[in-house]
Amino acid sequence: MASGGGSQQPTSAYKPYRHVKSLTAHQRAVSCVKFSNDGTLLASASLDKTLIIWSASSLSLLHRLVGHSDGISDLAWSSDSHYICSASDDRTLRIWDARAPFECLKVLKGHADFVFCVNFNPQSNLIVSGSFDETIRIWEVKTGRCLRVIRAHSMPVTSVHFNRDGSLIVSGSHDGSCKIWDANEGTCLKTLIDDKDPAVSFTKFSPNGKFILVATLDSTLKLWNYSTGKFLKIYQGHTNRAYCITSTFSVTSGKYIVSGSEDKCVYLWDLQSKAMLQKLEGHSDTVISVTCHPSVNKIASAALEGDRTIRIWMQDP
Amino acid sequence: MMNAPIIDPLQGDFPEVIEEYLEHGVMKCIAFNRRGTLLAAGCSDGSCVIWDFETRGIAKELRDRDCAAAITSVCWSKHGHRILVSAADKSLTLWDVVSGEKISRVVLQQTPLQSRLHPGSSMPSICLACPLSSAPTIVDLSTGSTTVLPVTVPSDGNGVAPPSRNKYPDGTPYTLTAACFNKNGDLVYMGNSKGEILIIDHKNVKVLAMIPISSGAVIKNIVFSRNGQYLLTNSNDRIIRIYENLLPLKDGLGALDNLHKTIEEEDIVEKMKAVGSKCLVLFREFQDLITKMHWKAPCFSGDGEWVMAASASKGEHKIYIWDRVGHLVKMLEGPKEAVFDLAWHPVHPIIVSVSLTGLVYIWAKDYTENWSAFAPDFKELEENEEYVEREDEFDLVPETEKVKESDVNEDDEVDIVTVEKDQFSDSDMSQEELRFLPAIPCPDVLEQQDKCVGSSSKLMDSNQSGSPLSEENEQNGLAANNASSPLEEDTGGTRLKRKRKPSEKGLELQAEKVRKPLKPVKSSGRSSKTKSKSVVDQDYGNGVYADDGSDDY
Repeated sequence: MASGGGSQQPTSAYKPYRHVKSLTAHQRAVSCVKFSNDGTLLASASLDKTLIIWSASSLSLLHRLVGHSDGISDLAWSSDSHYICSASDDRTLRIWDARAPFECLKVLKGHADFVFCVNFNPQSNLIVSGSFDETIRIWEVKTGRCLRVIRAHSMPVTSVHFNRDGSLIVSGSHDGSCKIWDANEGTCLKTLIDDKDPAVSFTKFSPNGKFILVATLDSTLKLWNYSTGKFLKIYQGHTNRAYCITSTFSVTSGKYIVSGSEDKCVYLWDLQSKAMLQKLEGHSDTVISVTCHPSVNKIASAALEGDRTIRIWMQDP
Repeated sequence: MMNAPIIDPLQGDFPEVIEEYLEHGVMKCIAFNRRGTLLAAGCSDGSCVIWDFETRGIAKELRDRDCAAAITSVCWSKHGHRILVSAADKSLTLWDVVSGEKISRVVLQQTPLQSRLHPGSSMPSICLACPLSSAPTIVDLSTGSTTVLPVTVPSDGNGVAPPSRNKYPDGTPYTLTAACFNKNGDLVYMGNSKGEILIIDHKNVKVLAMIPISSGAVIKNIVFSRNGQYLLTNSNDRIIRIYENLLPLKDGLGALDNLHKTIEEEDIVEKMKAVGSKCLVLFREFQDLITKMHWKAPCFSGDGEWVMAASASKGEHKIYIWDRVGHLVKMLEGPKEAVFDLAWHPVHPIIVSVSLTGLVYIWAKDYTENWSAFAPDFKELEENEEYVEREDEFDLVPETEKVKESDVNEDDEVDIVTVEKDQFSDSDMSQEELRFLPAIPCPDVLEQQDKCVGSSSKLMDSNQSGSPLSEENEQNGLAANNASSPLEEDTGGTRLKRKRKPSEKGLELQAEKVRKPLKPVKSSGRSSKTKSKSVVDQDYGNGVYADDGSDDY
């Protein structure tokens, strides 16, 4: 199952991840999976208009969140793992209580087209969302008010993410640009990339907020130093030409980059050497979303229509 | 700040316009927590509101059933877990911020006009209260015991002064004596009615040093900068004086004791002066020679680079900003309402002012779009430069261009985890800092939810036809706070009592500055021009709300 070159860390040999379970409860493509920040829960979103909260340890289905009138593209956890915000094609976002009785607390209305991506700030008093209406909106969690609308891009916004202290937002778009915004003022501080082609399909700050991981639809992941405007690392080998596939940093054992791929696999690269460490096979359609558990070596991945499952992978002890 | 490396250096460092205002009852006094993420405001009805300064929404309300008197001051504990509130009913109340519960309440003989928690500990139970008509007092909030501090240098030689009562020994009755702690709280700095700064060991109730101010005028305010290196006084002679603190920040008391041992002087007053001259040195004096204005609520900016004060004249909302060198760099003018209190954000170039009417105005930089931010390779220039091209610059050799693009060594190690300590980190990490209060989403009202699902296009229509005014009325009628249309969301619904109202006067002033800058400040011309335009646009958009705001009173 494992393939790819060796890591540059001589101290510990790479321990491969293995499939431990498949979760099959969504009726349509699964669009997003995310572990909660406290590591106790896993949430998944689907085109079947529902979200499911799973126990991250027993992997049992705890609750299904029903309410959106159209497919869901993205979800985000609040820092305290109490709330989930979901982004839907019904043009709304919903804030859900992730604790019993699992109620929908707020419906955030304002976007004029599909809401495609969402995240909480670390303080979790704000939510940022990106939409096919080409805007970024900033919402107040407590009241559900839209505090700011940023006409950010000239094509659908594919991802939005706050940095560690919540002062910056990074956004990526099909228009091929990746921009950094002042979260308080809504002003553009920097444009990292501005190419017509390829589209930027995903962006995310590194855990310490110093770098940005950017995925583009030419099957490339790049790690950028946004203050100098230069990229530091390129990760390649996977296939990504059509979908907004998410990728993430794995920091619980070695430091890895983890991404889905259109060849139905999950890819792991060594952060420093850029060598591909492992290709997790098993899904039967494009792997659209991956998430790493915050404290143990556990990965969850989700796949599209031809598969509809979530797979859980764990590293050998 | 994490975004420091990409902030435009051409943007100035002090506020320029009223960005928005906060409204909740009648607010009288304000204080930021250490990082400026929360703003506490004391109200005339005895409650204390904590604003989430990021969302500008109310995060918490502290209300004591026993207290309906106006709040006179609010003060955060070092790590933000506690708030001390002094009120006109002579009470001091200590609150636990997270639980919103009262920890203790002490009633004094006199109304404390100002109270400060001991800054050295994260769970302080000691505070310094400055009552209306008696000497500053150290209050132990857990036991209720009080220690009155001396307000003059004693003449009996042992440094211990008899506590003064309703009057000062020199006969000046019923005025506030200003006092504050130094940075780590081992000393109290007091400005008395004889125009002297006293440095007091509050544990032993002993005056250790005295610094006379030349004019001898009553000192109205005494304030330390956040870093503890500068002290300012505001006197009745209409002059704000800045002193440099010569004592070490860590053990000021120990250094003072040493000075006492080394300086030989018989006369007690002369000795206090001699020691005092080794503690504080006059650095700058600020005054307005033309208007001869009295100052109010002076304070330092978060980084100590600027000093501001409000005009104490009735019916005007004027804030003066000086750089530490002594130049007046900005004058902010708001609506015709006197300033009650002022605070400078600890981190950002933001000023918050409380007006007589109880509104809190937020003054911020008027950010201009920095067009180079939209193009990765652009550099903004302050003025035109003649460009000298490289010999082969415009030759068509695209391949070499491509190669040059990545002159970064991709094999360099990157650290994606480590975070540097910030300016607020200190050795005392006995307790984690309270930076924000958890935001709890208020549940939507169910029927509204259902009504709105799947009808977003309809919402858009009603949005265009409905006038802002009627919408506002409708909003006021609704009890719930479900956001129901994009427009009202964008303009900031009124339920949370937060509105955008750029002051007209401020705008005029702004426009004037563009024509003739007070002082050549970096970038003023370029940025101000676009600024005044954008602010006017905003004013049109929200004019209705502005009118409405004043009707509430």
